Amino acid sequence: MDLHILDHRLRVTSISKSGLERFTHPLIKLIFLRNRTRCKFFSLTETPENFTLVLDEEGFKELQPSEHLQVESSTWLPLNVVSNGNVSSSSQAVGVTKIAKSVIAPLAQQHVSVFMLSTYQTDFILVREKDLSVVVSTLKEEFSIYQEVKGESVPVRCQDVTNGLQKNGKEAIQPTVHPVLIPQNQFCVMSLDPDTLPSIATTLIDVLFYSSSPKEESPEQELDCIKFFSFSLIDGYISLVMDSEAQRQFPSDLLFTSSSGELWRMVRIGGQPLGFDECGIVAQISQPLADSDISAYYISTFSFDHALVPEEDIVSVTGMLQHHRKEPAAS
Amino acid sequence: MSGSKPDILWSPHHPDRYVICDSELGLYRIGPIGSAEAKPGSLPLSEETAATLLAINSDTPYMKCVAWYPKQEPECLLAVGQANGRVVLTSLGQSHTSTCKELVGKEFVPKHARQCNTLAWNPVDSNLLAAGLDKHRADFSVLIWDISSKLAAESSAAAEKIRLPPTDVDSGSTVTKPLYEIGQNDACLSLCWLLRDPKLLLAGMHRNLAIFDLRNTSQKTFVNTKAIQGVTVDPHFHDRVASFFEGQVAIWDLRKFEKPVLTLTEQPKPLTKVAWCPTRTGLLATLTRDSNIIRLYDMQHTPTPIGDETEPTIIERSVKPCESQIGSFAWHPSSQNRMVVVSAANRVMTDFTVFERISLAWSSTTSLMWACGRHLYDCVEEAVEGAVEKDIATKMRERAQSRYGHDTLQVWRNHLLAGGSDPQLKSLCAEDLELKLPGNKQSLVYSGIKNIVKSSSGTTESRRCWIGSDRQTDVPRYHSEERSLALRLCGWVSRGSDIDVETFLRSLEQEQEWERAAAIALFNLDIRRAIQILNKGAMTDRGDLNLNVVAMALSGYTDEKSSLWREMCSSLRLQLKNPYLCIMFAFLTSEPGAYDGVLYESSVAVRDRVAFACMFLSDAQLPRYIEKLTGEMKDAGNLEGILLTGLTKDGVDLMESYVDITGDVQTASFCMLKGSPGEVLKDPRVQCWIENYRNLLDAWRFWHKRAEFDILRGKLDPSSKPLAQVFVSCNFCGKSISYSGSALPHQGRGFSQYGVSGSPTKSKVTSCPGCRKPLPRCALCLMNMGTPVSNCPGTGKSEEKADLTRENKLAKFNNWFTWCHNCRHGGHAGHMLSWFRDHTECPVSACTCKCMQLDTTGNLVPSDSS
Repeated sequence: MDLHILDHRLRVTSISKSGLERFTHPLIKLIFLRNRTRCKFFSLTETPENFTLVLDEEGFKELQPSEHLQVESSTWLPLNVVSNGNVSSSSQAVGVTKIAKSVIAPLAQQHVSVFMLSTYQTDFILVREKDLSVVVSTLKEEFSIYQEVKGESVPVRCQDVTNGLQKNGKEAIQPTVHPVLIPQNQFCVMSLDPDTLPSIATTLIDVLFYSSSPKEESPEQELDCIKFFSFSLIDGYISLVMDSEAQRQFPSDLLFTSSSGELWRMVRIGGQPLGFDECGIVAQISQPLADSDISAYYISTFSFDHALVPEEDIVSVTGMLQHHRKEPAAS
Repeated sequence: MSGSKPDILWSPHHPDRYVICDSELGLYRIGPIGSAEAKPGSLPLSEETAATLLAINSDTPYMKCVAWYPKQEPECLLAVGQANGRVVLTSLGQSHTSTCKELVGKEFVPKHARQCNTLAWNPVDSNLLAAGLDKHRADFSVLIWDISSKLAAESSAAAEKIRLPPTDVDSGSTVTKPLYEIGQNDACLSLCWLLRDPKLLLAGMHRNLAIFDLRNTSQKTFVNTKAIQGVTVDPHFHDRVASFFEGQVAIWDLRKFEKPVLTLTEQPKPLTKVAWCPTRTGLLATLTRDSNIIRLYDMQHTPTPIGDETEPTIIERSVKPCESQIGSFAWHPSSQNRMVVVSAANRVMTDFTVFERISLAWSSTTSLMWACGRHLYDCVEEAVEGAVEKDIATKMRERAQSRYGHDTLQVWRNHLLAGGSDPQLKSLCAEDLELKLPGNKQSLVYSGIKNIVKSSSGTTESRRCWIGSDRQTDVPRYHSEERSLALRLCGWVSRGSDIDVETFLRSLEQEQEWERAAAIALFNLDIRRAIQILNKGAMTDRGDLNLNVVAMALSGYTDEKSSLWREMCSSLRLQLKNPYLCIMFAFLTSEPGAYDGVLYESSVAVRDRVAFACMFLSDAQLPRYIEKLTGEMKDAGNLEGILLTGLTKDGVDLMESYVDITGDVQTASFCMLKGSPGEVLKDPRVQCWIENYRNLLDAWRFWHKRAEFDILRGKLDPSSKPLAQVFVSCNFCGKSISYSGSALPHQGRGFSQYGVSGSPTKSKVTSCPGCRKPLPRCALCLMNMGTPVSNCPGTGKSEEKADLTRENKLAKFNNWFTWCHNCRHGGHAGHMLSWFRDHTECPVSACTCKCMQLDTTGNLVPSDSS
């Protein structure tokens, strides 16, 4: 297996719900006018709390500083696991489940904070730039590591591996167990031919910028369903995550999804905003999923983490997580 | 495509059909314009051809790529890859056979929808269709579908899970299970099956090129590169593959797959299509975005197994098939170098044939050959009499064959050897008539009249009577020693100091040059002799009766300035065709000292004009005239001017312009060899002519002629003799076995004193003159070798040399030492020659050296006799 450190330097930001209109112009430009910007990595996720924006430095330049814009101070680097086609895994599961044991668990043990971003095409593991040497020394056993520089993959040599393990200098603390929330909406993960993006532009603008205003219908629905919409445009590939409600607004023949047309349920992790320094959050969810071979997408946002699991597995997942909740309490 | 970018495909089996695909598929038939014109919907493609739209298919939206079924039947089956990754089989035209009906409409659906980038039919197992798709997290990007697969139960089993795309789940025609799945978690941008093995598939994946083997799909050979788009195999060299990335094309050799064997110069705009020409080897056409030219790269001259060190040469050129921007192009599958081009907008099509570059080669024997495409044209100079002047190379070759230039004793005969048709050469040869002069004047001869006249002094002026008349002329005539030397050089006066032209006049009469003779007689103030010559001329068999008339006119000469005779003669003379007759009257009617009518009459031989000038121009006028004439001659490259310049630096200048005009290095070489003054021969131009002439003789395989020329050159220019470069040394004492030079041992001189006939000397020839040990034996006759010719190293027995017969010489050559530089075996030249006439291997047993084949020129035969 190969691990690629991609040639993007990313910032993680959030825009408050009320401040969205101030950023309409840069967002429209970044989403629809690909030729006008040199931004290669763009991801926008709407959650009930805010909008999370992950984008590279070229894209970040477009955003005007404002009190509505919160910026995480560090630079993040995306990692990507390439199976190289050689390993025909026995597991049918996809998503973070495949890399839970090989990447996420070791990084959690080394107290490297990760920010996950799953898309239709692949999973990106974002790590802080300052943690890179720890990441490399942690994962070098398992992976051939390549750093992409200007489009060429350069094998990474283990540079200063000395004390790599102590870099973070933290002792293993018992991870906090975060409460989970399982809303009722069904989600789908889809893609789109970038050439047909203009034809869904109006729908997309509608969903992104005008969704909140009329959607104050029944309060009891609010409890069961949460607003979640994600759009990413990374290296020319588009990925969309939306609930089946929103999906109905799009023309059906333009969006791609798997032929089996699976639907996904969401597990939201965290009762309080999680912050960026705590590690092991992804691991505590993905580990049990991997143990029972359940596929999962995982999308981190500014405040909370979100895992998507297949609809048919939600019962077992719920059971598993509840069991997991009890166990630390017991110990 | 997606509405904007059209593509074009030729039918693999119908040479007149092609498909354009943009938002829909359009089938066209191409034909000659005449037959198609009758029909209304035909579109002209070129001056000769037009296309007719046969069918349109717009059943498949969101087309991304199209591939034409490679087999003859069903003929018009197309696979269309869509934006959502589905591959649909469709057809154009009406000829639906049963197999076709069964296949058309079949859909192949990947597990996860994403764009289908490329399609490729297996050229051998045509049931296999490879599709290259975009990346998906868990799915494979290369799917190989079997189009004949029955739509089995598993598709319906899968169908029940299909909930999201509520569109066409019309059960029967959808296949969801590919035969092979390759390239997990990767993207595939281009595909092609390798021609060397139909089980191998080359795919341009995300950042690498990979070769997949269907027999073991978990294995792949890959190389990391950015050039992963548009992979295509050269149909003529199955190991050569082209791919591109943005503006750069990379050429790969599959046998050396680590890196591209070469990359073509980068274009500023991204490329859109790269295609090998199917009808011509090594021709690659590339197209960039927003361009109206197609760039062609000719790798014709690349050595077939592309070497690793040598950078192959590529000829790049571009063609412009039409004015508008090109959307796509496609080579015609069988018509040579032909392509159809479709414009980026409006579907304007152009039928276009790339004109082949012409390569051209001259042979050394004036034939010309050129190649264009698959044709070879040979152009030989036709021997039509007099129609066109022969090429100088032909002339030189003929002259060389007739030993032109080699007659050093009677220089004038060279003119005849040269074919006797060039007046300039005639005058040149005649000029060098041997003049016996007192020693100090000898050097003047070759320095030219220009220099002779410059040194003129002590000129006397005299006025003489017309001979045979008592009238006093008012024409002053000038005499000096130098002037009479000049006259002699001009040929008017033969040797001796007295000025008598009578001998010259006689010789002219003999050659029937009546007009010239008459003019010269007149210039010598012998009007009666002139009239007499003209009469004589009129009376000969083919004589011109008009000469009598001229004679009559001449006899009426009067020196009265205002006479009717003068008036009429000076105006009517211009109508005389013969220049000599014309200048006669010019002379008679002009004022003394103002002879422009004579001096600048360019059709009169230079020698005659110069001689005239020497007689009648004053010391002030003469050098000026000579100077001017020399300048003219130099500019014109007229060899007659050599008379003026002599073989001096000026002469070289003149010869240079002559060579520039004619290319006749032969004449230049011979002429300049005569010019013994060292500095002339040392002139780099002269050396260049001589070397070129020698090379020319070599190229003609006139080796004997070249040897003769070298001998002549060595005689005239001793500095050109090359020093001995090869010595045969004795195996025992290591000394040279030749008798020449200061190394000659004491005994050696003794032999030559005894003469050559004695048997003791004869036997000594086969032993080393230094140590008396025997020389090596000939491998064939096993006799000791030795060449008696080295006995007499040019001790002035010239007459003996001169009448050496041919056999004599050859006999001597037969005794020469020869040996192979490779195996060092050898023997007598004659024996070796006869051995290798029938054998290829060395005559020494157990030696397998193929001596003769190592000698590249050994099998060539000289093309000149003697």
